[in-house]
Formats: sequence, structure tokens, C-alpha cells
Amino acid sequence: MKVTFPHLGSMHIFCKAIAETAGIPFIVPPETSRRTLTLGVLHSNECICLPFKIILGNFIEALEKGADTIVMVGSGPPCRLGLYDLVQKVILEDLGFHYRWLTIPPHLTWQAIWKNYEETKELKKELSAKNILLFPYGLWMGWRKMMACEALEKLAMKVRSREVKKGETQRRLKRALGWVDEAKTPGTLREAAQRGERLIQEIEQDPSRIPFRVAIVGELYTVMDPHINRGVEQKLGELGVEVTRTSWFSTHILRSLRKNKANRASERIRFFEASKAYLGYDVGAECNISIGETILRSQEGYDGVVHLMPFACMPETTASGILTKVGKDWDIPILTLILDEQEIEGRIQTLLEAFVEMLQWKRKVA
Amino acid sequence: MEEKGRIGIPNALMFYRYFALWRCFFEELGWKVMVSGGLGKKGKIIYFEDSCLPMKLLVTHAMFLKDKVDHLFIPRLVSLHRTYIMCPKFRGAPDIVRLATEGNVSIIDETIDLRIKGNSLLQSFSKIGEKLGASKKESKQAFLKAQQSFSTFQKEWVDRINQLPSRQLFEIDIPTPVPHKISPPMKVALIGHPYNLFDIDINKDIITLIKGLGMEILTSDHLSGEEIDRQISDLSKEIYWSSGREIVGSLLHFLSGGVDGVVFLTSFKCGIDALLQEFIKRRLKVQGGASIPFLTLSFDEHTGREGLTTRLEAFRDVMEARKH
Repeated sequence: MKVTFPHLGSMHIFCKAIAETAGIPFIVPPETSRRTLTLGVLHSNECICLPFKIILGNFIEALEKGADTIVMVGSGPPCRLGLYDLVQKVILEDLGFHYRWLTIPPHLTWQAIWKNYEETKELKKELSAKNILLFPYGLWMGWRKMMACEALEKLAMKVRSREVKKGETQRRLKRALGWVDEAKTPGTLREAAQRGERLIQEIEQDPSRIPFRVAIVGELYTVMDPHINRGVEQKLGELGVEVTRTSWFSTHILRSLRKNKANRASERIRFFEASKAYLGYDVGAECNISIGETILRSQEGYDGVVHLMPFACMPETTASGILTKVGKDWDIPILTLILDEQEIEGRIQTLLEAFVEMLQWKRKVA
Repeated sequence: MEEKGRIGIPNALMFYRYFALWRCFFEELGWKVMVSGGLGKKGKIIYFEDSCLPMKLLVTHAMFLKDKVDHLFIPRLVSLHRTYIMCPKFRGAPDIVRLATEGNVSIIDETIDLRIKGNSLLQSFSKIGEKLGASKKESKQAFLKAQQSFSTFQKEWVDRINQLPSRQLFEIDIPTPVPHKISPPMKVALIGHPYNLFDIDINKDIITLIKGLGMEILTSDHLSGEEIDRQISDLSKEIYWSSGREIVGSLLHFLSGGVDGVVFLTSFKCGIDALLQEFIKRRLKVQGGASIPFLTLSFDEHTGREGLTTRLEAFRDVMEARKH
């Protein structure tokens, strides 16, 4: 048995840590590349959203490398994400791959647990008692690593906007994330996290610079994965913008575990409430959050908002129509980037540069 | 009865299935109903948002009606079934229209969500009636009458499509003609969302084209809910959109026999169709292919009637070749 999972930002570090600690053999799919995307596009329909294509590409590449068990997070209605597995299974079957599929239920209901039991019946025979006993510990390790990664990324977002040598933060962040990934025990993990933090903090910064504050909102997959959004976060940072986002892997895990009372999640409730002025119902996925966050960020004095969505994303299409109005009403510049398989990295760079120039102009006038 | 005012219903989205119910309900309560009609030859689509063509047409029709009526009726259709839901874009539709019309017109946007225990269509319509100043009893009477008219239309629907010109399909006052004794030589199943099937601004009046080629049309209105459920009962995951279930179920039904060809109509950028289209295609391939000719037509605002005619004629030739 060789387990594999899709890429989503630095989520592979989380999945890898679980499998590694519990002693389950695994294969990390090759880093999302042009080939991944081409494979995904080739084997799906033009109007299916980008995350579908990338995840499919990840799976094909992992299966080619010898993986035989796919683990995928499930999701519920109304977004298409909830039916990814139905369609991807048929596509992989059509391509002649042999694999097993395991869906992690988004909400723990009896139905989901029963289905999970059915799916794991065969798998359990291949796992040793040691694997199963170590699994909770693996989960804990994975979670710790995830939190360490997120802390490093958040720190990098701040530092990047003030760095003197362009690109330095990104280089060091990559090294630091590598250390976290390699850590095997809680002790070495703590050490790696601290060492990484120091490495990023030691970057030469220009204290006289007052960076712009921009929030990134939108569909979670495009917000969280730099391969999909072509590094919007990094590009903005290097243009002297301090970027904020509320979509993190941990946010969504806590959300689906219904730990809404944690302070991180209560922020989402605030966003949701704010969106009610424009949207009378929960459209699903991140739609209401995108709108609500834009309103609140404007009240908090942010300079602008970047809204990311995959082409033809159902909830975010509704959001983008409403956001145009929100931007006017609240006087906050919004840049909507619709992402698909086209090679638009250069175009995004130009758009972001123009956006930042507009912010500069706006600051001068004010 | 004295006229209370005007209610505008945009000719878009689920109007194409529930027109009889909606129209009759408001007329029974003493309101004059205005529908927006087609775009016409010179009609321009208003691009308020970058969505699928049916949604753009909703905004266009609403803008056309906004100065002519007292209220616009754009229900927030979340779910019309105990378990399954409608397209997520419908949930934001009234809000989009409200922003497009800049709040100049009152919009009746009652949320209809039948998944919630104790909710029923009658209840939702009672609430709508209440907003219009009707008593519970009046609303109930109007609703029951409307429902009756709706089910009559549902029953006669397939005959109506085949007998009446497409422009008269939705004229409530025109009765359904008695069906012909001799049916055309070929039967074709037309599958898709009701608005893709019947909105001539989307599909360039494909129904007339198909009838002109000497074919009889069948739709999913022909099938019972049980048959659709049976067709998709063995999927590895339940499809949670009502329209998606209907489409996949009827495609699988008709592709296994009973017709000479199957045509699937979809709008460009329709999320549900894009996903399920791929599913159907792959499933047929894995199971060794369908024996019945299958044509997928995708529409957007640039679709031309000429191209459509060519493809349909070619499709008829394929069907004929298979028959002989």
C-alpha cells in the first residue's frame, strides 16, 4: 500500500507528517507543475473549476509514480467540490489506473462514518497494529507541523513587505519550511520552527517604509495554493504590500470540525454577518465570507482587497458581481483575478503592479 | 375583481418550469402578471456580472420589467425537494437583481427551502400572499388552484412541445391541441435545464429546428421521479443538485433505449453541467459506449442558428444510418 494525497499550499507537509509518523508508506505527488495542469486539463471539461484539474493532475502523477491509495477530503453541497470524487474516480478508471479511494468525511455523521468504514475495510488488513496505534500521534504531529508552517508564512508576509533585498524572504521561507518538514520528533520540530523564525526575522528590513495593507479573499484553493494563484502573495509582498488572509488550512479544518467558537473561526462569523447587507442567504463556500471580509477590511482601514477565484467557480461568480458594488459603496479598491489554465503569470504581475501604483496614487491624494 | 397592481415575472431560469404555478397564483390573488417576453431581434443582453447566459438573461429581463411593474417576483430557490438543492447561483439571484436595478423596484424574494422540516411550498406561497396583503385562506385557495393548473400543464407538456410553436408554449390561454395520430418517424430526447431547453434566446429556438427535421421530442418531463432515482441509485456518491439528478438520470435512461438519439443542451460556464457532462462521457466509455447517438450542444451569446442547423442535420443523418 502506498498512500497519496493532493497538493494544497503546504498541506502536503501535514499529510506527510501523519503518514511518516504512523509508519504508513506514502508518495507525495510531484510538485504542481505545468505538466500537472496540462494532464488535468486534458482529462476534464473546459468549464470545470481549476482546483479539479490540478487535483486530478496531482493524482495522475502520483499514480504514475506508484501510489495505489488516494486520500481525499470530502465536502458537502452546494459547491462542486463535494462531487469531485464521483467524477475523478470515473476519469481515473477510464485512464486505466488501478487504485483505491478513501474520502475523509467533512462532517462526522453516521452516514459518513458508515461509508468510511466500508472504504477502509480492505485497507485495515494491510495496516499493522503499530500503524493504527501511532495514527493519533501522527495526527498530532501533522497538526503541530501545520501550525508551525502557518506561523512562518504569516511572519514572512510581514517581513516581505519591508525586505531590502528582493526575494530574500521567499528564499529563507522555503528553507525554513524544509526544516519543519524534515523534523521527526516534537523536540526537533520545536527547534526547527524556532530556527526558521530566527532566519526570517534576521532579514535586513527597511524600517522607514510604510507598506500598504491588502487582504486576499476568495475561493480557498486559489487563495491558499501559490501554484494556482501564481504566487500573488509573494508578488504583492515584493511590491511592498503587507498581505493578510484569513483562509488557512487550520481555519478550514477547525471549521469542518465545528469548532466555531475558537476565536479564529468567530472572525468568519463576523464576516458572514457583514455580508448580510448585500446577500440575503448563504450562497455557500467562501462567497459570503469574501463579501463580508471586504466590507470589514475597508472599515479597518485596509488599502485594498485582492479577490481570487477559479474560472466558472459557482459561488465566487456571484460574489464578484456583488463585490463591484461593495468596492464603490465602501471606497476600497478591489482587484478580481480569475484564474484558469492559461499562462498568465506575466499578466498577473502587470495587474498587481498597476494595482499597487493606484494605491500609491490614492495615498498621495488622501 | 379589481386589479391590485402589477407583478413582473422575468422570463428566465425556473420560470420555464413553474410558469403556470407562479402566474396562476398571482392572478388568482387579483394581481396582473407581466412577463418580460423574449429579447427580440434587437434585444441587448445586460452584462451586470460575469455568469452563465441564463443568469445574464435574468438580469436583462428584470431590467426590462423594473419600471413597468409594482413588484418583481424572483424567489430565492434554495431547494424544491426534501433532500436535494438547486444551483448555488439561484441563492444570490435576487441580490444580484437588486444591485442591478439599484433598489428602484420592490422584489419579492421569498426563500423557498423545502429541506427544512415542516416547510412546504404552500407555506412559502402563503408568506408571499401575506406580503401582498392576502389572507391565509385566499392564499391557500389561490395556491391550490395554481397547483392544479401547474400539474395540468406538466401532464400535457410533451404534447404541447410537439404541437405548438415555441413562442406559444408559455401562453396559458392557448389550450394544448389534441395529439396527432401519426407520430414522426424519429424520436429524439432533449435533455438539460428547463431554461436551456425552452428559452429561445439561449438555444436559438432549437425546438422548432428539431421539429422541422421531422423528429418527435421527448424530455425528462416524460419520466417519473422514481425512474430517475433508479437510474442513478448505483453511483458512488449521491448527486445533490435536483437539476443534476434529473439530467444524469434521464440521460442514462434515454441512452439505454426508447429513442433514436439524445441531445444534451448546456450553457457555457454552467458549473453543474460541466462536471456532470464529463461524468456521463467517462461512464459511457468505461461501460463500453452507448449504442444511441449522443450530441452535446453548448450555448453562449455567440451561438449562431446556422451552425446549429448543420449540426442537427448531421445528427439526423447519423440517426438515420443507424436505423437502416
